Amino acid sequence: MKQIRADLHIHSLLSPCGSLEMTPREIIARARARGLDMIAVSDHNSTLHCELTVALGKKAGITVLRAAEVTSAEDVHSLVILPDGAARASFQQWIDSRSAHIPHNPDIFGDQVVIDENENIIMEIKHFLTAALNASIDEVEASAHRHGGLFIPAHIDRPSMSITSQLGFIPEDLYIDAVEVVGRTAELLYPVIRNSDAHIPEHIGRRYTEYMLDHPSFEELAMALRGENGRHIITAAS
Amino acid sequence: MKVTDIVEKLNLKVFSGHEGLGREISGGYASDLLSDVMGHADAGAVWITIQTHRNVMAIASLRDLAAVIITCGEKPGEDTMTQSNEEAIPVLGTDLPTFELAGRLHSIIS
Repeated sequence: MKQIRADLHIHSLLSPCGSLEMTPREIIARARARGLDMIAVSDHNSTLHCELTVALGKKAGITVLRAAEVTSAEDVHSLVILPDGAARASFQQWIDSRSAHIPHNPDIFGDQVVIDENENIIMEIKHFLTAALNASIDEVEASAHRHGGLFIPAHIDRPSMSITSQLGFIPEDLYIDAVEVVGRTAELLYPVIRNSDAHIPEHIGRRYTEYMLDHPSFEELAMALRGENGRHIITAAS
Repeated sequence: MKVTDIVEKLNLKVFSGHEGLGREISGGYASDLLSDVMGHADAGAVWITIQTHRNVMAIASLRDLAAVIITCGEKPGEDTMTQSNEEAIPVLGTDLPTFELAGRLHSIIS
């Protein structure tokens, strides 16, 4: 068992609000420089940069998890972390089936591009990625778990786009694997993690969480959130 | 003025909470952030929102609101309606957007 440092909320340049410097290559380089063992790429309502980042991470010795920051109908942001490539592809199809297809204006909100390993643009997403899906938070949670994933309401202590700002309090019948916080919080009923929510390279690793794991992986993380087999959250540092 | 009066005047659909149609109305509040309503809506207010999550009823009950009006043709879920019946706080509906509905409600209750 060892201490694993992880930042599981990082936006690539695919997110409209993500800086164009946030290429998968740059994300991996920064993660390495910041001493992170494990990261997750979590773009708004998209997983399309996950596979490239996973591949680049493998070469650099950084474990990359596949994720998305999903906006549900209530304008609540939640992280969904997926177990493998097949689950990611299937979850992406589910997201696409629930998209509101609101046309995107890059001049106002920023570019939404997918790039390849040579940093050439291979796709431009035409609908506004950050817009709420036609799916309630209950449906997002159910879909995350149907895909074997983890459901983590994001930045719950922020005054906007969080489960607490939109819904007043956390509905107790939602199955929540952990909650992500930005600041300091009193003890919560859920496992608490911190992540950077980086949109620019300098922010990668500005907040992270240390876990006690056998090795960095999705399965090990899931065990740590449940406190199983000696795996656990050590600290949620900011 | 009672909830039943605004149902009639604004041609609202009554989804649930029929037992509460006799509640007195003291004013209105329009917001889609439940954290905001929880902190600011006054007792007896009619709350206008597009949120349909079941937490709406918990907040309505907490603030002792007269009724909830869901705009833009959105429909509450089963669990929201069940709680509305239990609390006897009506959930009403309209196809109008919030701005239009709020304007009409304001003119009849002020």
